[in-house]
Amino acid sequence: MPASPKSVSALRSLLAARFPERARKPCGGVPVSVPSVDDALGGGLPSGRLTELVSAVPSGGGQTIIARLLAATQAARQRIALVDGSDAFSPGSVPDYLLRHLVWVRCRAPEQAFAAADILVRDGNYAVVVVDLRGCAERVLRRTPAATWYRLQRAAEASSVAVLVQTQSLLVPAVPWRLVLDTPLSLARTGEPRDRVADGLGVRTERSHVEPAAELAG
Amino acid sequence: MSYAVLSVPDFALRSLQRSDPSLCGRAVALVAGEGRRARVTEASAEAARVAPGLAATLAMSRCPGIVLRQREPESEVEAHRLLLAAAFTLSPRVESTGPGCCTVDLRGADMPRTESLMRLRAAELAAFGLAPRIGAGATPLLAAYAARCADPVLVVGDAAGFLGPLPLSFAAPTPAQEAVLKGWGVATLGALTRLSKAEVGARLGSEGVLLYERAAGESTRVLRLVEPARSFAAEWAYDPPVESTEPLLFKMRRYAERIALELRGAGLVADRLSLTLLLEDETDHRREFRLPEPGADTDGWLRVLSGHLATVRTEARVSAVRLVASPARPPEKQEGLFDTGLRDGAAFWENLARVAAIVGDDRVGTPEPLDTHRPDAFAMRRPSESVAPSGEAPVHPPFGPTLRRFRPPWPAAVTCESGVPSRLEGGRLEGRVRAALGPWRASGQWWGPGAWELETWQVELSGGGIYQISRSAGAWQVEGMLD
Repeated sequence: MPASPKSVSALRSLLAARFPERARKPCGGVPVSVPSVDDALGGGLPSGRLTELVSAVPSGGGQTIIARLLAATQAARQRIALVDGSDAFSPGSVPDYLLRHLVWVRCRAPEQAFAAADILVRDGNYAVVVVDLRGCAERVLRRTPAATWYRLQRAAEASSVAVLVQTQSLLVPAVPWRLVLDTPLSLARTGEPRDRVADGLGVRTERSHVEPAAELAG
Repeated sequence: MSYAVLSVPDFALRSLQRSDPSLCGRAVALVAGEGRRARVTEASAEAARVAPGLAATLAMSRCPGIVLRQREPESEVEAHRLLLAAAFTLSPRVESTGPGCCTVDLRGADMPRTESLMRLRAAELAAFGLAPRIGAGATPLLAAYAARCADPVLVVGDAAGFLGPLPLSFAAPTPAQEAVLKGWGVATLGALTRLSKAEVGARLGSEGVLLYERAAGESTRVLRLVEPARSFAAEWAYDPPVESTEPLLFKMRRYAERIALELRGAGLVADRLSLTLLLEDETDHRREFRLPEPGADTDGWLRVLSGHLATVRTEARVSAVRLVASPARPPEKQEGLFDTGLRDGAAFWENLARVAAIVGDDRVGTPEPLDTHRPDAFAMRRPSESVAPSGEAPVHPPFGPTLRRFRPPWPAAVTCESGVPSRLEGGRLEGRVRAALGPWRASGQWWGPGAWELETWQVELSGGGIYQISRSAGAWQVEGMLD
């Protein structure tokens, strides 16, 4: 009798070896152009999956990551949607030309953000949908049924859109990738070009789901 | 073919079924007269063994469960307008020949294209609940004969071959003429037209000549043309008033189908819809919708309207509805050779409309900063259909972390030492200022009533976090966080 797998990763590998036709293939990704984030995600935001980015400290760089994502998707000429749960995006803080491919949804409550995200993730015209829930009432977010997240996950899988969920604390259940920004920026960084600020952002990987097929190939 | 006739069999019954969802799929008959004199005039296919002319009581005994209804003039008028709207998409020269029948002058039309258009229109009207028969021929009469035999479209090229086997009743002979012709052994149009026209005239007189011409399909006439719709609106009433959305949406779809066809016939699209609900307490609820993508697509309209109706709560029941479409020229566009367009344009605009119904029309779109130095000044624009190349990089690239705004700004109390903020309290923030940058002073509109003046600082709190604060008219506020 073969030895029992010692970890979930080993179990996945074992299952992928036994049932190769069932193994999930990598869906490709959308690079964020922030080295630490792209490295942690294996090249960029995975298409057809949810990625949670937790801003655990103030001024952790979450908004700068959105700005870089705007630049990266513009360069690739992809469309991006920003579901802004607390209406916090500042159009004046990014160059005009990085806004033309953006669809910005200014929500008044988390419920609106979930409803809008559910529609936009299914649309099929977006490469990335960013759901920014920072600034939303924590107690309301905690009451969100897990089924809402699973529904969003299934919708993302169906439309192959990369979904980035920005939160202030760990929120999304069973999310395949969770990154944490836990190093606050200092005022001295305000004098640096934004690209250099983004390049220096520190990201901690809280959870990383390695695709079985990719793991096997590696 | 120079003419086409659009005709709806059992028009009154079809119109009634189209306007009343409860009649769909049921045995229905229209009756005329009252009491014992009530007779069936039209019966649906589901009403087995019930034929026109049958007494109403007999119809009920032959077909238990049959629904007997009187004609409904309003629904017939609306259905006839729908038929006319469909006819105007074939040609601008249309005659309203009778209830459920119109004749179209197709002279000068591109025939192969018109024939495919007729088939398309027949399928469309069938989906709308009218199931027309469309016939086309060299004369209005021949087209009318063709319509009677069509299933659903019949184009007559060889008139003699088509008319030959048709029964004599098609030419509507008088009983006397029919009796004479029967004595001659003439039972079909072909048999009559094989005779000499002069000989028929000599024996049956001028009426006989007219009958001969009708049998030969030669009879022609001048069409009494009607004008196409100039306003694209519908208004209908509910008796009794309704309090749920289902009956509203059912009838709204029916009227929207007609309005959309009228727009298409005029080569127009709708860019706005105006909906008015007239309530039982004599108040009303009005709403105007700017369509995300101008068009004449009923499904798209209904999605916008139903999305709104799902959120409407009225104090009284709805007694009438008015729907008006604002016509506009169809948008013409040509994308750049290398532009990245939408994968599914219809879904994109419909989904934006659905999101707008959730968060508000003015809160979805592409932001565009306004030409001013005033902070947070931007407008929401309609998203572009294509993602164009970015072009050259800006001369002055952005510096520092990106601002994340607090809307509205948090009022704050700021303590200053030597003119520099040293402590911040406001909103969810409280702490000593570890470092501060500023001030940046800006003002504008000083020549007008909207004058503004700001002094902005960027401060880092001892507990972490960089915030942008500003002072205006002596009051401090936290504009946002540099993140």
